[in-house]
Amino acid sequence: MSGRLVDNVLRLVGLVAIGTIICFLLTPIVVTAIMAFDSRGYLGPLPPPSLSLRWFQRFFSDDYFLRGLGVSAQLALLSVTISVCVGVATAFAVERMSFAGKEALISLFLSPLVVPPVVTGFALLLFLSHLGIIDGFTRLLCGHIIITAPYTIRATLTGLAGIDRSLTEAALILGATERKAFWDVTFPLARTSIVSGAIFAFAVSMDDVAVSIMLTDAKTYTLPVALISSMRANFDLSIAAASVMLMTLTAILILILEKSVSLNRVIGQGVFRS
Amino acid sequence: MKPGRGSLLLLSPAGAVFLGFFFLPMAGLFIESFRIYVPGSIGSKADAPFTLANYGELLTPSFAGFFFETLRISLLASLVGLLFAFPLAYWITRSLAARWQPIVIGLFVTLMFLSVLVRTYALELTFGAVGPLRPLLVEIGISPNSRGYIETLVIAGLLHYIVPMATLTLLGTIQNVDPRLFDAAQALGAPRWKAHLGVTLPLCMRGLLAAFLFAFTFSISAFVIPMILGKGRVLFISNLIYTRFSEIANYPSGAAISIVLFVVAIAIVYGMSHLVNKRWKT
Repeated sequence: MSGRLVDNVLRLVGLVAIGTIICFLLTPIVVTAIMAFDSRGYLGPLPPPSLSLRWFQRFFSDDYFLRGLGVSAQLALLSVTISVCVGVATAFAVERMSFAGKEALISLFLSPLVVPPVVTGFALLLFLSHLGIIDGFTRLLCGHIIITAPYTIRATLTGLAGIDRSLTEAALILGATERKAFWDVTFPLARTSIVSGAIFAFAVSMDDVAVSIMLTDAKTYTLPVALISSMRANFDLSIAAASVMLMTLTAILILILEKSVSLNRVIGQGVFRS
Repeated sequence: MKPGRGSLLLLSPAGAVFLGFFFLPMAGLFIESFRIYVPGSIGSKADAPFTLANYGELLTPSFAGFFFETLRISLLASLVGLLFAFPLAYWITRSLAARWQPIVIGLFVTLMFLSVLVRTYALELTFGAVGPLRPLLVEIGISPNSRGYIETLVIAGLLHYIVPMATLTLLGTIQNVDPRLFDAAQALGAPRWKAHLGVTLPLCMRGLLAAFLFAFTFSISAFVIPMILGKGRVLFISNLIYTRFSEIANYPSGAAISIVLFVVAIAIVYGMSHLVNKRWKT
């Protein structure tokens, strides 16, 4: 039967496509992980004759990278803290509203997500220099707050939407003040969503190039900006070492996310699962 | 409930942050895009007169070419990404053993979260001068020094994010399709491919369009991927904005390009969401 034949051919094509794309996704990562431990002092073909940690040592003895790493770490911690506070306050305020403009208000707060980051960075740069703010760290902090805040707002809103309002109302009826009901009932229930928002925000802050590259000054730059500049200058394998460490960081973040929120909740699940 | 004083107090930090770091800067950018620029200076003078020249310049073939290239490569990458992501998501949902599912999904979440720098560098290593996959591309007739090779690399860079993202987006969609509908089509005599074409695909249309929207907006605002993998020969609009700013300090022109990119991005997002909501009501 020709229908069957077409089925079998298409199934084969599908499986080959799946295999190819998985290879395509994983090969670069495996290659980078191996090259990072290459003992040769130059960029040679795979496989490396022997393994060493020289590129990791090179990374950690390079002041240019270390300075970027320091700025990135401070920036991520500070901007995520501020964004989480802003995000939680905003989401709680918006959630309690029921007027017609609520949806519009939410999309206003999420709008930085659809604006290309280079545009956000450039606009902020022009604005801050008009105000006379030229300190690199302050500028970067402003930029990182505005790109992370939409994530914390969105995550907290999602968390609050899943909370049964009658729980808070029960606390109020039982005599709790509004503040006590918030801290004892609503906040603990929303905590996992707030954590997932913070992890997203941290990942966004640690990864950003397009906004940061506009706002750096000669002495204050982030690790991704430092890596990009040296990537363009020469193709040094200490960047492979840095990549391996960044991949490890990503994997750790995902594990925390899985343990605290469960990935199923992050990506959403359909009804008819096999 | 009307927004009371408590709510306004809670909204004030966000109000200050969004106004000061986003809405006012965007308004400033809009004004800057109409200023006259004198070559050689850094940015425009504070009271420079207004002009439309910065936008007029964008209509010249060389500038319009950048926009066209960005849109063309983004469209290609998004479509190819969906072509791979759909079977992948279908396979994960319907064919993969239940105990492997969390592992594979975890892998894709990690791939999606991966730093764009790591992605770009890894692809450069893999397809670069000593890269193990370079001979593969040469084998299928793409010369390593040609523009085709560089363009393929940029598309590969975009795909490396689009495929995991689209696969994860489509998982939920495919899980929501009742498998009994597909079984019914087969029981009534349709071969599998016809059942997929007539049942599975139309039911997944909304999810496919959402994934396409994410992929396309991600691509047109891509910055790092074309900057590194494009080697200066493939430039996206984002890179053009950065060049206007860093190399010749022509802020008004950079601002005009930014505004156009901004309008294009917003138009695509709202246009497509509107289309999806009108056509496929939930």
